[in-house]
Amino acid sequence: MKFIADLHIHSKYSRATAKNLDLENLYLWAQYKGIHVVGTGDFVHPQWFKELEAKLEPAENGLFKLRDEFANPVDAQIPPSCRAQVRFLLTVEISNIYKRHDKVRKVHNLIYAPSMKAAQKIQTKLGQIGNISSDGRPILGLDSYDLLKITLDADPKNLFVPAHIWTPWFSALGSMGGFDSMEEAFGDLKQHIYAVETGLSSDPPMNWRLKQLDDYILISNSDAHSPAKLGREANVFDTELSYEGIYKALSDPNDKGLVSTLEFFPEEGKYHYDGHRSCQVRWHPLETLKHNGLCSGCGKPVTVGVMARVETLADRVEGSKSKRWRPYQNIVALPSLIAEAKDMGTGSKAVQEAYMSILSKLGNEFYILLDCPLDDIKRAAGDVLAEGINRMRQGKVSIAAGYDGEFGTIKIFELGEREHIEQQLSLY
Amino acid sequence: MEKPADLNELQWQAVIHEGSHVLISAGPGTGKTHTLTRRIAHLIPTLAPNESILAITFTNKAALQMQDRLVGLVTRQSQLFVGTFHSFCLSLLRDHLEHTALPKDFKVASPEDITGFDKATLERISHLKSTQLIINPDDDYKAYQRYLRQNSLIDFDDILCEALLLLEDEDLAIQLRQQYRYIFVDEYQDSNTVQNALLKILARDGVLLTAIGDANQSIYGFRGSQVEVFNKFEQDFSSAKVLTLKENYRSAPSLLTASGQVMGGVQLLAKLEGQGKLIIHQALTDRAEADYVVHQIEKLIGGLDMNTSKRAVRSLGDIAILYRLNTQRHVLAQALEHLGIPFQVSQKIQKSEVYSDEDALGQHEEVVEFNVEKVSLMTLHAAKGLEFPVVFIVGCEDHLLPLDLMGMKSDASEERRLFYVGMTRAKEHLYLTHAKRRQLFGQTMIQNPSPYLANIAEELKAYEVTKRIPPKRIKDDLQMKLF
Repeated sequence: MKFIADLHIHSKYSRATAKNLDLENLYLWAQYKGIHVVGTGDFVHPQWFKELEAKLEPAENGLFKLRDEFANPVDAQIPPSCRAQVRFLLTVEISNIYKRHDKVRKVHNLIYAPSMKAAQKIQTKLGQIGNISSDGRPILGLDSYDLLKITLDADPKNLFVPAHIWTPWFSALGSMGGFDSMEEAFGDLKQHIYAVETGLSSDPPMNWRLKQLDDYILISNSDAHSPAKLGREANVFDTELSYEGIYKALSDPNDKGLVSTLEFFPEEGKYHYDGHRSCQVRWHPLETLKHNGLCSGCGKPVTVGVMARVETLADRVEGSKSKRWRPYQNIVALPSLIAEAKDMGTGSKAVQEAYMSILSKLGNEFYILLDCPLDDIKRAAGDVLAEGINRMRQGKVSIAAGYDGEFGTIKIFELGEREHIEQQLSLY
Repeated sequence: MEKPADLNELQWQAVIHEGSHVLISAGPGTGKTHTLTRRIAHLIPTLAPNESILAITFTNKAALQMQDRLVGLVTRQSQLFVGTFHSFCLSLLRDHLEHTALPKDFKVASPEDITGFDKATLERISHLKSTQLIINPDDDYKAYQRYLRQNSLIDFDDILCEALLLLEDEDLAIQLRQQYRYIFVDEYQDSNTVQNALLKILARDGVLLTAIGDANQSIYGFRGSQVEVFNKFEQDFSSAKVLTLKENYRSAPSLLTASGQVMGGVQLLAKLEGQGKLIIHQALTDRAEADYVVHQIEKLIGGLDMNTSKRAVRSLGDIAILYRLNTQRHVLAQALEHLGIPFQVSQKIQKSEVYSDEDALGQHEEVVEFNVEKVSLMTLHAAKGLEFPVVFIVGCEDHLLPLDLMGMKSDASEERRLFYVGMTRAKEHLYLTHAKRRQLFGQTMIQNPSPYLANIAEELKAYEVTKRIPPKRIKDDLQMKLF
């Protein structure tokens, strides 16, 4: 079965997340977006885990569904065009802060569990080690290596996925808090890692340039801190809808169950370029080189972004592919496309209304972004949006790259272009 | 013999000193344990096969650490006993049980074993036992001892008292003197009268004592230790030599100067370079003080999420928060917990931790499977012997430092030494914080800064004022507003 999965999200119990990040809203937004399997996030958090136990029931092997009593009231809010089954997979992200070789490391790691029992085992173990109740993504002074060991000891079917591996401050290969290699970070246990998450600021071709990542399959997730951010990156599977199906697709080098990934334009990510947000210095890595890495505003070293970091660690030229490569499609979230078409803010009421209206006419967001015939979109939402989606599908967007925590800004239409497209329409 | 590169001249003199008892006066960060272990390693080869060295540490943990350090240095481990006074004495009692008046099945009392006596009574009796060689027993004392005997128990203090009694047997004393040719005592400033008496029996007739410690760090007066023991060393042990280690390898020069000023002009030679930071912060309340501390920690470890990230300079294990009273920890723990910053509270040092032979008490160290880093919270007392790149001392207020509060009052000079111990734990950053208002034991107190702060020269202090912490630094997701 073909399905889309987003396997890195958070609950309302994580720091800096939306208050409505609960199971009902995940269920709702997964359907708006067209996600069939969504991570639970935060399963180590005792209260969230209680909610998972209370509101979910086992579905297909290792996956869970929202109990009818909780799902039914939500269903009314979902346009019939979007209604679909939603499955949950137990996930959690841990923030590891520790010192190795006299350098402070801050690495975020994901754990997927095949059962409540396996999840509970990890929860118990981590509860002995540190505080797991303050933050859904707990901070532990534990070496990533040890976390991996705990994960494997708790259940051999647990999956361990280094999260957004290029993020400067919080990742396995990050320029500021990470390591230069997976070997250095995970030592002899690295063979038990099958997948790594590319994060928003890198795309698969950037990752293919590192031989050390050859053995890993690349996955992409939203890391959503609010329901509406679900699926800003995701994975397309074509395999058995079960934990085992996903496990095999990630762990077995010969399995073709992971078909492709849906990706942010990496330039749109918060850390693509180098720079200083507070000094408004945004540099391409070559520009950084010219300045010896020092900010022209404050004179301190700039935050080295993902593009430069990949360049530093890459041992292959651009254009090469890794052993386990998969095709990918760059996407822009539909609300951003609507906003761009209307030349309005993403948060504006008109955009929100248009979003719901299009969904109810055509179907879920991924269908609209990826598969829906352009003519249908024209009819339902006008030529400008259809053209916007067309350009997105072809990768014809211009982006001012993100840097030092600032998202990149997408631009699809030049000044006056929208009117031009509309006029063309009125000619016929 | 040539001086090895990892010892300075004064340390080297202490290592190779021969022919008399020696007191090594070692200020904070002067390489005390290093010197001690090197001296032990230096002396072991001079022993005859049936002779050994007795090395007394202050805690079991320190004993383990010393053993670890000696592993590479000493080939004849069998000629070495490393342990606390209590573990040494307990093994004496067990080995020579027939010469004691103790029941065959005696057990060392743990706190749960003792019922029917209030805390104050127990403290008073304990103080008597550790400071008086001859006790005039009152009714409480008699009842307590009867209780112990009826239950085949001895308490921690009895371990030493019974051993002292045992050593009145001159044959045994001679035997021990023939066996233990050198005796080492760490943290000598904290040894009490009974321990001193034990040493006087053991360190005679050619047995040489090496005592090491720092009179300025004597902080266990309430437990019967007497700083005078330190000052009387040359009297107690004839023809003793006193050596002083003067070079500090722990703290940044400015921090060393500052702690020296608090201690009335102690001058150690700073061997480290680099700028230390001594920050004074006044908060409105103890809660605000805790928020300030936690916010600083968040900054030091480079932020906790993407939006507050900075280059991480410190790890969790680099940081300690110290306080005078255990009860001060709650508000700090709360603030740390709120941000999910991992921390551990080292509880007030229990007697069992300081003194006892854990195995004999049936308490085994928890097996540490993973090395987990956390911010350390502890009392100033518990911080003794430790060091951290960053130290916060909270509650630097009059009546709290020095303590003079609700009937709790401690010896003024000992309080000053306690503060000195706290300050000298810091390697690079030292934060001294105080609050204007503090909740303590259900009362709101209006507080003034600790007089110790005024002892530090102004040019060494940086005053930091709280900036208002912005509510939540989440940039609201634009799409979050959808619906």
